[in-house]
Amino acid sequence: MKALKNALINFSIKHYKVATWMMVVFTAAMCAFFPMVEVDTDPENMLPRDDPKRIFHNETKKNFALSETVVVGVVNEHDPDGVFNPATLQRIFELTEFAKGLRWQDESQPQGFSGVIEVDMFGPSLVDHMSQGGPGEIKFAWLMNKPPATREEALAIRDKAYSNPMLKGRMFSEDGKVICLYLPLTDKHLSYRINSELNKKIAQMKGDEEYHIAGVPVAEVAIGVEMFSQMSVGSPLAMLVIFGLMFLFFRKMRIIILPMIIATFSVMATMGLMIALGFQVHILSSMIPIFLMCIGTVSSIHILSEFFDTYTQEKGREESIKEVMHTLFTPIFYTSLTTAAGFASLTFTPIPPAQVFGAFLSVGVMIAWLYTVIFAPAYIMMIPERKLANFGMSARQTETQSVLAKILWAMGRLTSNHAKLVIFFMAMASGLALWGTLQILVNDNYAKRFVESHPIRKADIAMNRHLDGTYTAYLILRGFNPLHLTENEKQEMLTKLREFADGIKNKFPSVTRLAQEISQEIKALNVKSQSYNGFFDTLIKRIDQKSEKASDDDYYAYDELRAFLGVEKEKQKVFKQPKVLSYIAALQRHMESYGLIGKTTSLVDAVRKVNQEMIDGKLQNYRIPDKMPGVAECLLQFQQGHRPKDLWHMVTPDFMNANVWVQLKSGDSSAMKAAVETVDDYFKSNPPPAMLTHKWAGLHYINLVLQDKLIPTMLRSFLGSFLVVFLMMSFLFRSIKWGILCMVPLTITILIIYGLIGWFGKDYDLPIAVLGVLALGMAVDFAIHFLQRARVKYRELGTWDEVVHKMFGEPARAISKNVLVIAIGFLPLLVGPLVPYKTMGIMLFAIMTLSGIVTLFALPAILTVTQKWFFNKIK
Amino acid sequence: MNLRSLIAGISLGILAGLWVMPGQAQEPSVDEIIHKANHMALYQGADGKGKVSLVITDKEGRIRNREFNMLRKNQDNVDQDQKYFAYFKAPADVRKMVFMVHKHAALEKDDDRWLYLPSLDLVKRIAAGDKRTSFVGSDFLYEDISGRSPVDDQHELIKTTDKFYVVKNIPKRPESVEFEYYVAYIDKATFIPFKMEFFKKDNRLYRLIEVLKTENISAKKNGKDVVYPTVTSSVARDLENGSSTAMIYSNIKYNVGLSDDLFTERYLRRPPRDVMR
Repeated sequence: MKALKNALINFSIKHYKVATWMMVVFTAAMCAFFPMVEVDTDPENMLPRDDPKRIFHNETKKNFALSETVVVGVVNEHDPDGVFNPATLQRIFELTEFAKGLRWQDESQPQGFSGVIEVDMFGPSLVDHMSQGGPGEIKFAWLMNKPPATREEALAIRDKAYSNPMLKGRMFSEDGKVICLYLPLTDKHLSYRINSELNKKIAQMKGDEEYHIAGVPVAEVAIGVEMFSQMSVGSPLAMLVIFGLMFLFFRKMRIIILPMIIATFSVMATMGLMIALGFQVHILSSMIPIFLMCIGTVSSIHILSEFFDTYTQEKGREESIKEVMHTLFTPIFYTSLTTAAGFASLTFTPIPPAQVFGAFLSVGVMIAWLYTVIFAPAYIMMIPERKLANFGMSARQTETQSVLAKILWAMGRLTSNHAKLVIFFMAMASGLALWGTLQILVNDNYAKRFVESHPIRKADIAMNRHLDGTYTAYLILRGFNPLHLTENEKQEMLTKLREFADGIKNKFPSVTRLAQEISQEIKALNVKSQSYNGFFDTLIKRIDQKSEKASDDDYYAYDELRAFLGVEKEKQKVFKQPKVLSYIAALQRHMESYGLIGKTTSLVDAVRKVNQEMIDGKLQNYRIPDKMPGVAECLLQFQQGHRPKDLWHMVTPDFMNANVWVQLKSGDSSAMKAAVETVDDYFKSNPPPAMLTHKWAGLHYINLVLQDKLIPTMLRSFLGSFLVVFLMMSFLFRSIKWGILCMVPLTITILIIYGLIGWFGKDYDLPIAVLGVLALGMAVDFAIHFLQRARVKYRELGTWDEVVHKMFGEPARAISKNVLVIAIGFLPLLVGPLVPYKTMGIMLFAIMTLSGIVTLFALPAILTVTQKWFFNKIK
Repeated sequence: MNLRSLIAGISLGILAGLWVMPGQAQEPSVDEIIHKANHMALYQGADGKGKVSLVITDKEGRIRNREFNMLRKNQDNVDQDQKYFAYFKAPADVRKMVFMVHKHAALEKDDDRWLYLPSLDLVKRIAAGDKRTSFVGSDFLYEDISGRSPVDDQHELIKTTDKFYVVKNIPKRPESVEFEYYVAYIDKATFIPFKMEFFKKDNRLYRLIEVLKTENISAKKNGKDVVYPTVTSSVARDLENGSSTAMIYSNIKYNVGLSDDLFTERYLRRPPRDVMR
């Protein structure tokens, strides 16, 4: 350690030009990778690629041919008929036709194009309407094959739309004021292009309709765009703010340039390194620049502060900086190490973007440390001696008379004179905070990542006001085949076959005999361990063989037997069974009766609607047919329309997996959690009539999965880094009790902050979760500086009273400046429309300020009370 | 231009005309081609029956099957009106479902269509209107089964290759169909349309039907042996969602003497045994 310290200090002072070049060259090399930058805003990537829930989510998308979808909401609140007036419907028609053309040739795609998938688009001119024609007549037609010319025609379209429960609350709102177009994309990354094309088209449209473009892919891209603006505006702004603050503190341009150079170079080197190693910039890692901007300046501020105090003309710059570096090398090393360790603990979370963020923040901190120790002395060496004349003294004089200095003096007196009171208050506050911490609610909301004035948030608010929820999740039900029939079951089946034959013997006189023969033959075959399908296939094959040569009468009898067995075999297809469909219908009803779920759609709705229209169109026939072939007929009729493939978004062709589309009214992950629990409970208290498992998919569910992981993993990271920092401190001070003492201010700070979050009911989401871990490594720095300096001073002065007095001079001023720079430096995160940044900005400001204050109150107060115990060995 | 060169020009023109003439005489007109193709595809024999199997394969390679027996009877000798009767055998749970069409070739007259659903025990007329809906969930449309009438489109011979007449067909009522036009590749020898490509706006191919196999089916006509070249295997591909349907005909018989009253409503519920076996 000592060797490293001496080597580095000597190197940077003796070979300051080489040191400078090293920094410049490395940074420049890293910057060369900037053009390779890629952005990742996919919420799915919050989970590792091999996470079982993510794998299932993607399987579901494939199994049910689900695509990421852009939603265009057209709102008309002015017309008494809402959107169902000729002009609005004309515009919607036009927009639909326009959207059909949003596709571009792309040989890399299996369909040969990329863009909007026309066949899966969903809108009034694209869906079928099944209805009654004349008496005994069924009519299949487009809901709106051309825009209506008159009010009557428009209202007729409205009435047709209202008669279809599968459209209500999804394609149009119950209040008739909104119609939505759903535009599924071949690739969600196209949403930016689609969005801007749509906006261009919309700008040309007349009329007083409002248009909203929403959907997760649009939000993702918007986040990406805002991230860049945040990085390109926020970081320079942070730089400017820090620059301003330092100017206020040091008043010497030549000096404050140093921290700026170190911070900027660290940011560039770190981001370049991250890009070079092939990591994408995610919403979290896009905050790295602003973090490093603040943290990177800290160490050099300490050096400068100390240099102010130390520098005299007699000593000269070389001697002065050497002295400063010897005093500060250890605390700077440790503060950097603890900060890095705090960040690095994020790599133990199972959230890949948090891992990348933590890893590169911690790398960045160490780069900033290295740049500081090699470049800060080098920089001072490059300043001509004469420019430093009167530098220190004059600055010191103004310093001691500043407002800051006066406040700190007062604080010093207060903490040592009323130490017990201060401790009492701290304990009280911690107690209350602990209670608040227990009130914390875990929740996140993708849409709420934007401020309310952002178009995406506006779209979200407007559309959820009218529709039955626009947040989609998929409840996937899976049925199971009996793989094997037992010997008994086989006998039962043969008995059933004979009974069936008995039932139709009036029409087919020979059928009883034929059924007997068949079952005898099958028994004689005596096939052991045959699969369910195998058993039926053997039977049917046997009938096929026998019927081929049979007389006509026998043939038709065989045909009946074959059909009976065919239907029995089909019955294993779970989602054709009326009892299973009834169960799903009841489950859907139960879900919809529960406040947060606006609407559910499944193949049950399709079956009921077809049944209703096939029979007579009366509402009483909106029901599931009693027998499986009835269901099968309805399903087949559903496929006779223009969009047969819609069925396969709700059930797989083998009828073993069904997808219930669930629309949630709130994008809160807590709403999703409640939905999951509601369904779990329903399954527990209402056992399904066949073996069914249920699982969830969809981005809103993925969001919940992430939330569920958040608390335990972040808590683990937090405790882990707490322990690491504590061990480092104990090692630094060669004392466990000093280690503990060092942890006190940040513990109180974090307790109070999370207590306040709990008290005010602010959602515990990803930024908040990450925050605690980040804050830990940064907040401890103030305590390190305070205690390290206090111990050094104690060795010099021998009594605590004098130490306190001194501590609230230069060291307290350095710490306060540090606090201010970091705290205020994070405030530029508030600029821009992304809420997670704002949260980070405010919370970091609060944490840094508070931990500075707590450090300066709690530590001296505690040391005043327990000075004998702490200082007995230091002399 | 002087007189001599004018005369020379005219005689050259005449010569050129004479040169082309013999070729033109052999080449049938586009109307002839379409007429013959229409006949070959849909009207061979006075009537016919066969077993049809549909194998639908989706993008993920998942397969669904349909099987039905089909009867067809011409109403005249001029390739106009026809009657169809499709009796479903598989999947087992829709067995006995029947679909019946009285096809009217005239542009202004809609087809009459009926549906029988045995389990719901319903006979429904299907209202006039769109024939371009899926046929039992396959990639074939109703119109592909009963045939699109030549009068619905304007035809243009765009190319003649050594094997095919390539005819572009533009709908007369574009609002009634989802395509802009389709191109048929009609075999020069047999006049069987071997391929049909359907295009949307900006000449985008989105759907095609191809013949995979033809067979010569022997039959009797007025006591004489005749041979009908017949498509026995074809495939419809939906290029937009990657799905395809193979259609395979077997047990094809022509001129079996189907009576007209087979194609009436009362037979929907109790289909004739002819159809079932």
